[in-house]
Amino acid sequence: MVEVKRVVIAVSEGTFDKAMMAMMIANTAVSMGMEVHVFATFFGLNLMKKGYKPKAPGMYRMFTGMFRKKMKAVGVDDYPEQVKMAAELGVHLYACSTSMGVMNVKEAELLPGVKILGAAGFLNIAADSDMQFFIG
Amino acid sequence: MQKDATLDAKGLMCPMPIVKLAKKIKELQVGQVLELVADDPGAKEDVPAWTQRTGNEMVEMKQEGSVFYFYIRRKA
Repeated sequence: MVEVKRVVIAVSEGTFDKAMMAMMIANTAVSMGMEVHVFATFFGLNLMKKGYKPKAPGMYRMFTGMFRKKMKAVGVDDYPEQVKMAAELGVHLYACSTSMGVMNVKEAELLPGVKILGAAGFLNIAADSDMQFFIG
Repeated sequence: MQKDATLDAKGLMCPMPIVKLAKKIKELQVGQVLELVADDPGAKEDVPAWTQRTGNEMVEMKQEGSVFYFYIRRKA
């Protein structure tokens, strides 16, 4: 059997493009047999909240629906389904504890299975990783 | 090419063929062959990358027009 690679992804923005990129990398990696950890911080913390629907960034915001429709047309599910699938496939999801305080997010608002973690906890996981992605 | 199951991923773009492939291969017994049909241009590189990374065997791949056919033996 091939050696299991560990992927860590830190996300600091919650816009549609970054949310989708984080989940598409995570879901592909876990489908390739990799161990995946996604750490959500600052505006990225929104990705770990129940019912969050990301919008396209800046002036593209009004085109969010069009992007979603185009992705749906090629079989790529919208963000809520992507993050649900990630959890089901065994992707580890983390919410940054400091960001929760800053963004005023309560534990009850997080998606099921999301763990609360500080920087040291995340670095401990990242220290033994093979690949690191920063999406922000 | 003898096959035990088929996964039609035509019309799906990255990463869906890979995500669906990873789910589907688990339905096969070790040693059985899955036919994956895809027309995502990325699949040509992505599917061999997946087999290499997961330890499954790419028995054969062919292209007809813009459609790719992959025959993958479940190993792991």
